[in-house]
Amino acid sequence: MKIVVAIKQVPDRDAPVRIAANAKWIEERELQWAMNEPDAYALEEALQLKEKHGGEVIVLSAGPERVGSTIREALAKGADRAIHIVCDDLGSRDALGVARLLAEAIRPENPDLVLTGLQSEDLGLGQTGVILAELLGLPHATLILHVEKTDAGLKVKRELEEGWFQSIEMPLPAVLTMQSGGNKLRYATLMGIKRAKTKELRAVNAAELGAEAAPVVTLEQIAVPKKQKSTQILGGSAKEAAAALVEKLKTEARVL
Amino acid sequence: MMTLLPILGEPRHFALWERGLFVGLVAASVYGFWRRFGPILGNILQSKKDPDFRLFPIGKRVWDFAWEVLLQAKVIRERPLAGVAHALVFWAFCAFALVTLNHCAVIFGLGFLDPAGRAGRLYFDFAAVFAIGCAAGIVVLFVRRFLVRPKWLGELSWGSGLVALLIFALMSTYLAAFFVTEPGSAVQALWWAHTLTLLAFLLLIPHTKHLHLVLSPFTVFFSRGEFAHIPPLSGDEDFGLVAGRDLTRLVNLQAYSCVECGRCMEHCPANATGKQLNPKEIILGLRGYLNEFGPRSEELLLGKYNTQEAAFECTTCGACEFQCPVGIEHVPILVGLRRGAVNTGTWENDYGAKLFLALERGSNSLGMSTTERDKFLEKHELPIFDGTQEYCLWLGCIGAYDPRGREIVLALVRVMRHLGASFGVLRKEKCTGDPVRRLGNDLLFQQLAEANLEALAQNRVKKIITICPHCVRTIQEDWKEFGTPPEVEHHSEFLARFASQLPSVQNQEKIVFHDPCYLGRYRNVYDEPRQIAALAGDLVEAPRSRERSFCCGAGGGLAFLGEEKGDRVSQVRAAELVATGAGVVAAACPFCNTMFRDALAARGEGVPELLDIAQLVARGLPEEQ
Amino acid sequence: MSVLLVLEESGGKIKRASWEALVAASKLGPAQDVSAVVIGAQTEALAAEAAAKPVGKVVRVEHPLLALYTADGFSIALHQLIQNQSSTKWVVFPHTYQVRDYAPALACRMGQVLIGDVTGIEDGPIFTRQLLQGRLNGSYRHSGNGPCFVSVQAGAFRPDSNIDALDANPGAGPAPIEVFAPMLEAAQIRTKPSEPFRESAQAVDLGSAQRIVSVGRGIKGAENLPLIEALAGALGAELAASRPICDNGWLPMERQVGSSGQTVAPKLYLAVGISGAIQHLVGMKGSQCIVAINKDPDAPIFEVADYGIVGDLFDVVPALTEAVKAAKQ
Repeated sequence: MKIVVAIKQVPDRDAPVRIAANAKWIEERELQWAMNEPDAYALEEALQLKEKHGGEVIVLSAGPERVGSTIREALAKGADRAIHIVCDDLGSRDALGVARLLAEAIRPENPDLVLTGLQSEDLGLGQTGVILAELLGLPHATLILHVEKTDAGLKVKRELEEGWFQSIEMPLPAVLTMQSGGNKLRYATLMGIKRAKTKELRAVNAAELGAEAAPVVTLEQIAVPKKQKSTQILGGSAKEAAAALVEKLKTEARVL
Repeated sequence: MMTLLPILGEPRHFALWERGLFVGLVAASVYGFWRRFGPILGNILQSKKDPDFRLFPIGKRVWDFAWEVLLQAKVIRERPLAGVAHALVFWAFCAFALVTLNHCAVIFGLGFLDPAGRAGRLYFDFAAVFAIGCAAGIVVLFVRRFLVRPKWLGELSWGSGLVALLIFALMSTYLAAFFVTEPGSAVQALWWAHTLTLLAFLLLIPHTKHLHLVLSPFTVFFSRGEFAHIPPLSGDEDFGLVAGRDLTRLVNLQAYSCVECGRCMEHCPANATGKQLNPKEIILGLRGYLNEFGPRSEELLLGKYNTQEAAFECTTCGACEFQCPVGIEHVPILVGLRRGAVNTGTWENDYGAKLFLALERGSNSLGMSTTERDKFLEKHELPIFDGTQEYCLWLGCIGAYDPRGREIVLALVRVMRHLGASFGVLRKEKCTGDPVRRLGNDLLFQQLAEANLEALAQNRVKKIITICPHCVRTIQEDWKEFGTPPEVEHHSEFLARFASQLPSVQNQEKIVFHDPCYLGRYRNVYDEPRQIAALAGDLVEAPRSRERSFCCGAGGGLAFLGEEKGDRVSQVRAAELVATGAGVVAAACPFCNTMFRDALAARGEGVPELLDIAQLVARGLPEEQ
Repeated sequence: MSVLLVLEESGGKIKRASWEALVAASKLGPAQDVSAVVIGAQTEALAAEAAAKPVGKVVRVEHPLLALYTADGFSIALHQLIQNQSSTKWVVFPHTYQVRDYAPALACRMGQVLIGDVTGIEDGPIFTRQLLQGRLNGSYRHSGNGPCFVSVQAGAFRPDSNIDALDANPGAGPAPIEVFAPMLEAAQIRTKPSEPFRESAQAVDLGSAQRIVSVGRGIKGAENLPLIEALAGALGAELAASRPICDNGWLPMERQVGSSGQTVAPKLYLAVGISGAIQHLVGMKGSQCIVAINKDPDAPIFEVADYGIVGDLFDVVPALTEAVKAAKQ
């Protein structure tokens, strides 16, 4: 199976959130970067499929030079080769613009399967994979936990709301967006990193791909939300506190 | 001149055929010896060189050699009865060097010690005293091994029995020669009996654990550089001890030196609680591997002779390495085996992967968000290190994120403020990497060490004080591979320097101090924490304390792995501490603290209080601090 | 009709989240400008339910191939509908798993991008959505021609009272209902979904539980567990415990949450009588909403909790069970 995994480099979860001067994004200077976690699960699924059925895993990522470290991490974990779409203004593209870039890089590869994470930890749009499928003219499914290869194509396990699941059969080639937690992630090893040094990492400029960039939807401004996370201690008698808690869980936390 | 004994009987005349026979037998014996020893020596010398072996400074090596080999001090101290018996045998062998040479020279008429002369008589009588001691010693050892049969010695070894008999025979034939008054066939027969015994012994040496006679003096000499020292990886293809080709000269020398005494096994906390791990079997497993596959094999080390499961049950407490009388360094071997599995990705363990992934992405081993640490610093208004203060107080992962660990830190801060010490806490810390180092993940460890060294240099940190002995060890020793770490000490060492300024709260409480492995055996710090604990009450000692302290079970990264098999190490130790009758268990390591908290809680009501030494001191401070 | 509101059904009834989307849609256009859309193979009952709400009209997009949800089916059908209803400026959805599966593809077909998981709509219109896992809010604007696709976060818009008020349709009778039959062929639907299923009830899978009630040493004895079980039952939650409880054998080891047990991240984690030692915290700190009940006000668990009740669990837990049951009615 030839599998392309599209991954994104995102700010580290503990990153200090300081809004940049133009209020359009956060200060990136002191940030640490990491592989988007759902993409890590997509990569893991791809590697397991390769281990089972043979083939090739190609890692694809768009972004500035720093993205290289995350790509190398993917190579170290077992991907066979990588494509880096060098793009310094990824933030100025909307989801469609980004998906177009990826689609142009993927098309010549003619993969059997394209995997990506369900959504990113920074923007959280959760759309890139679905749009990618539409642009490539391929069937897709989202929120996938397990992938099984069948004679006719694939059988995947999809997560539904409220603890339900569904299996979907679909032909290959296809696009899947992977939910976190379906597999156990593997750790990066010294041997993996050493081997990664000899693997192909092809860089291509975003401009070369000729994908249209003008956004339809723009992020105009960012702001810190007024309500910060703090512990609310609910007082009163047991009955009063219980009632207050239920109210909060229903309306504020929205988990009931 | 006093003569204790009659003159030693020595043959005067040997026939030509006797000389011929002697030469033939010696040749056969030496040949037999070499046939077995040659390949062993080959296995050792043809192996990889140890990457960071330095002969100098040689002082410690010489001292340890004299103390441990010549004086047999470690052998005696850790197992007195067997140790003395063995020492007698060893000293007899030393004393017999000239006797044996002379014995062999006699057949060619070249004897240089005249049994009737003054020097000769003195020497032979001197040797006879040792012979008696040796014979007595060997009887004790024989009885111990074959009649008492302690489980540390393992299965009955007929080779050992045979050698014991041969040694006894050597001593007997020697002593008997004093009582043969007439030269004649009796003297001749005795001479031959002694000779045959000697040549049989020589032949047997490489086939049994008595190989240590030849090897262990070298092993002790070469091993006594440092304790539990983990060597660096050498080059791009080195991933640790994966297969035979990764075994180094020192490791192989150690594998062949093992005398199967079982002292390592006796003191191993994993072995004592029903785990698969047996340090003796790890070493013997390497020996078996070398004998079957050789030092250049690609066969996996964790396979036929040793298992991955056993290798990952080690807490790296170092009791095995500390006890070993022949200089085997178990800790680097176990870590090396782990490296071989982890660096190549063949170790599949959910908890281990979780730990590695937490540190790949984040800054601490617990996977907590750094905002939690920021909140802690802010809430308690801890001074931030800015390069102007004398000390950097390193919190570590438990000190920063665990509620009880934080209490220890806050207690120490109170004490340091009372002492007027100049200190600050770094805004950001990354885990020192201790658990990943001991688990064998060199990629992650290098990343953590390098990031930390850079951050410390940038922040102009010169001196570190920390509550965690694991942090101390990792910073001082393990980071050396990647740069120059700042000075670091444990808070017990710091506090001990100012003990006179600390309040004493003598309330007749009985306090038992538990020596952390990484402070005691690893760092040789035993008195300073006791000095501090003694400020708060009367010290009692646990049965196994100081160098014999029994591990709490958290080291070697095991605190981060899942449930143990068998009994819990922490509970066994907690029971021992409780049995001292102490009202307070004093700890000096946040890992020990965490393990004992659970273990003591499991015992129900009425258990001793568990406090770090910093907390013991802080209790005596005036309230307004 | 400038607003197309796509309703979602579950078990033959319209999902509550769809009505919240209606409340959001009211910020984009008046009620009579809203076309509510129901999709399926048999949509008569759904359409009747929708028609009783304050909407301009109801459109039944009906086709046998739409009996089960598929991304292809819904995208193609809605694409045709939007092209047919050419005055559509806004297409509004509830942000559900299903919508996430097809709406981006639908938008892409029309050269648009979905503005998803919106938590607020201000004048402009400016759409607010959360970034960096809730640490930031972002303001989005749509530009250019073509309809704007928006999906609305469940629970973000108005509290329940306003949703219920939607039923009170002032004066006018039910909205008119139209039928739209899209052109669909079986070959166009490339995925074959199965019936939804649940995982087997035997295995204790805390990892996928949405709600967990976890008990610690405060419970004092196994005989007191029924109290907690009642609360868990009322909440539809799985039962879990800190290590000492499992060590004592009061609950099986599979229910242990912590560093040597399972790591969980449910929507709701209720820690009852748990102090919050690090070995437990590392196993549950990823939970979306943490509630702590402990009689020690200094218990470390309160540091990580979103809501806390300082009190005796033997009083609080029964009261809470009652309150939860009452709320479900």
